Amino acid sequence: MEASGISLRNDVFETYLSVKFELLKHLKRRRLLIIAALAIIVPLIFYVRVPDTASQFADEVLTFANLLIVVSAAMFAGDAVCSEFERKTNLLLFPTPQRRGTIFAGKYLAAVIATFVVVVLYYIVLTLQTAQLFGWGAIPGELAKSFLVAMIYSLAAVSVVYFFSAALKRSISSTIVGFLSLIMVLPVISFILQRVNQEPWFIITYSAGLITNVLGVSGNPLFGPGNGQSSLTEFMPKFGVGIAVMIAYAVVFLVSGMMIASRRED
Amino acid sequence: MEYAIRTENLVKRYSNNFTALGGVSLRIKKGEVVGYVGPNGAGKTTTIKILTGLSRPSSGHAYVNGVDVMARPREALRTIGALIEVPGVYDYLTPHEMLTYFGRVYRMSSGEIDRRIKESLELVKLSDWEHKRMGTFSTGMLRRLTIAKAILHKPDNLILDEPVLGLDPEGIRDVRELIRHFRNEGMTVFLSSHLLAEVAEVCNTVIFLNKGKVVSSDSIENIGRSIEQRVVNVKFLRPLSAEETQKLRAIELVRNVEVEDGVARLWYDGKPESSAKILRLLVSSNFDVVSYNVESAGLEDYYVSVMGDGKKGN
Repeated sequence: MEASGISLRNDVFETYLSVKFELLKHLKRRRLLIIAALAIIVPLIFYVRVPDTASQFADEVLTFANLLIVVSAAMFAGDAVCSEFERKTNLLLFPTPQRRGTIFAGKYLAAVIATFVVVVLYYIVLTLQTAQLFGWGAIPGELAKSFLVAMIYSLAAVSVVYFFSAALKRSISSTIVGFLSLIMVLPVISFILQRVNQEPWFIITYSAGLITNVLGVSGNPLFGPGNGQSSLTEFMPKFGVGIAVMIAYAVVFLVSGMMIASRRED
Repeated sequence: MEYAIRTENLVKRYSNNFTALGGVSLRIKKGEVVGYVGPNGAGKTTTIKILTGLSRPSSGHAYVNGVDVMARPREALRTIGALIEVPGVYDYLTPHEMLTYFGRVYRMSSGEIDRRIKESLELVKLSDWEHKRMGTFSTGMLRRLTIAKAILHKPDNLILDEPVLGLDPEGIRDVRELIRHFRNEGMTVFLSSHLLAEVAEVCNTVIFLNKGKVVSSDSIENIGRSIEQRVVNVKFLRPLSAEETQKLRAIELVRNVEVEDGVARLWYDGKPESSAKILRLLVSSNFDVVSYNVESAGLEDYYVSVMGDGKKGN
């Protein structure tokens, strides 16, 4: 019992060290700085044309949130595992008294924290903008719900990219495959399914539509087969199902990625 | 007896059926400096990767200070400092930042980390580079830096895999001096190399590995003795006359003589007492002997002989 307690304490401490070291690396490589700058600058672009209501403004600004999350996940998790093998830094890092699992857990958590920082910044800027344009009272309550969805989607997106980082050999491949999966492959599959009148409820990028949908301004107006007439089917991700799908992706891809990473040898 | 490093019948087989290690058992005593020698692909790095927890054996065990590396890696790896192949570094970090992280991993206090970083970098002559980005370092500097990382926590055992690979002569000399320093400090050093001169310079014992099997293992002294040829080289003050050469041939224990100017090669039975007697006879016969030494084959010759046997065995 005592031994397992010590082991857990060691695991927690080693994971903490790994998170700190990874965040230092994100800072020194200026990735965190660049994406944080994007998170601050991009909302400012939406001053170009300000809509009538606060909800509409938030909805417009948040259309970019999805892309920002995917870019962050690709930047922070894309080379988390494979770069250690590719650049042979694993030869420095692994022959040390720490479990490999704690090193990789730290890498994942650091990528999640960095992505969270970016998302938080984005929502802070959006909130300040909305308050400045429409007054504090006009800030839609659903923005908090959207923020929660964005955080959970961040977790899932990082897991997906992290999985590719553990499974593929080269950093550039894992970053591109992870990025394209979330930005193109899954949305295309989602689109095709909707064209054949199937709700793609199990696809994470479809669930990510909740980030804006919860504001109740615009739906996710994707149409089913219409045989040239007006029989259109609109699909909207359901909140509970969407959240559950994101959590499932986060867990499954993280666990698979960790297992591959821990067993990986040169 | 508790060995610093011990392996029991290590086998490493890859999925393509290639056997990198075919049952390697090693015994390395504390304070020994052991050379692990073999051609490329012999299994040296595979052994080292298993000893440092980088790779899992298909069967067998590896122990450091009596601790099973696979069963209790944290405990085993705490007493090891390792330099394996040519590791990469985080180009965008400084040595201070990188070593601080590793110091924490080894549970050193902040004060101890700062002190040890300074000491280690001074030892590898990188003190002036403590706060410079590693991306600007030369190959030799990086190698010395990774040695500094290996000794940061003052390990009992140092495992060095081809530490001079790719270094220029100055870099090779620096690393050799460092290994001598570690030997004098009483550290156990396990040095894998295919450079025999390197091993002969710094090691007490040599283990020869070929095709995943230990083919020979002995102390440098014993190897030296076993490779002594049955020839003595004698240098005389002046070139020998025909009469003097004849006198040499007449010496009872000398089987054959080859003379060139003032140097003679004398073949005998190889026994040390015969060598001593020949010297006495030369002096008593009024030869002006300047130098007298038993001719020895190099470690290379020994290497070729044991590897040749290993090849036959396989």
